[in-house]
Amino acid sequence: MSGHLTEEQYKSQVAAVWKSTLWLSIITVVEVVIALTLGHLIPKFILNLFFVLASVLKAFFIIAEFMHLKYEKRAFIISLGVPLIFLVWALIAFVVEGNYWLHLNFPK
Amino acid sequence: MAEVIEIKEEHHVDQLPTPNNGEGGENSALNISYGKTMMWYFLLSDAFTFSAFLISYATIRISQPWWPDPNVVFKSFPFMAHANVPLGFVSVMTFVLILSSVAVVRAVQEGHRMNQKGVVTWMFWGIVGGVFFLGCQAWEWNNLIHEGLRPFYNPFGPNEAGKTTLFLEKMAMSPGPVAFGALFFGITGFHGFHVFTGVCLNVYGLIGAANGPFHKRGHYEMIEKLGLYWHFVDLVWVFVFLAFYLM
Repeated sequence: MSGHLTEEQYKSQVAAVWKSTLWLSIITVVEVVIALTLGHLIPKFILNLFFVLASVLKAFFIIAEFMHLKYEKRAFIISLGVPLIFLVWALIAFVVEGNYWLHLNFPK
Repeated sequence: MAEVIEIKEEHHVDQLPTPNNGEGGENSALNISYGKTMMWYFLLSDAFTFSAFLISYATIRISQPWWPDPNVVFKSFPFMAHANVPLGFVSVMTFVLILSSVAVVRAVQEGHRMNQKGVVTWMFWGIVGGVFFLGCQAWEWNNLIHEGLRPFYNPFGPNEAGKTTLFLEKMAMSPGPVAFGALFFGITGFHGFHVFTGVCLNVYGLIGAANGPFHKRGHYEMIEKLGLYWHFVDLVWVFVFLAFYLM
């Protein structure tokens, strides 16, 4: 993307960035409002699942639009994305272990 | 294999070497410059570092029967003594960091048009956002230290007295889970260090854009590389925000 842009390309890119900004702001406001109002009403598991999914959505907007990864070659995107599988595995393995510690230290 | 043979035949016919097959030459197979590629892979390694911290946090937190409620711990707001604004201040910080990231995206876009003045203006606002964020974090740390939070002491204990006898015994070292302070200062501190580094690099980018060396090169790729780093800092904050303030 080091080539120079036409006026139309420029305008559409600027519009795309402001749109992503709007989405990021809306998601953040919704997250905070839900954390403050529904914190004690909704089961903790569902609430946390919502927060995680909302954060992943925010991460998508930042990586795809701000960091411009959406417009790079697919092979490059795969080379960055595939190693992250290890993190998903690490998260699952460690959270399971943490849960085991909880039951070990505080039975029942 | 078939593709490689095809290209060689083409080469014979046209007598024009087209090094688009990624086997060397000036064009890379991924159509992205060396500098940006390396920045991306550095950020991938940095993502692993941050993930290791955040996964440790998740492990320790889930192993505790009780954890401080973020709505109780993070409720202070500057210039409003004894105010009760849960998550108010950190929401402002988050929003400022997002806007700072947007400013740097705009600088990159102006760089594509070779608009020197635009690059300088937007980089300036990006730096202002970063410095504001750092100021907010300093205030928050200062506030929490005044409330008694230390790397190995956590004053935020369970509200209602007595869960089980065993539970209180384990909590005897400090009112709340001991690891909370170390994890909070460690992870937000490491992120803050990244913000500080990013601000320094962005100042370098601002000077390079304002004085003209980038313009003379005919492209603003340095701003793009700095931008990648700066957005990554914003990206990490999304997950720090999730782990410490939302959940």
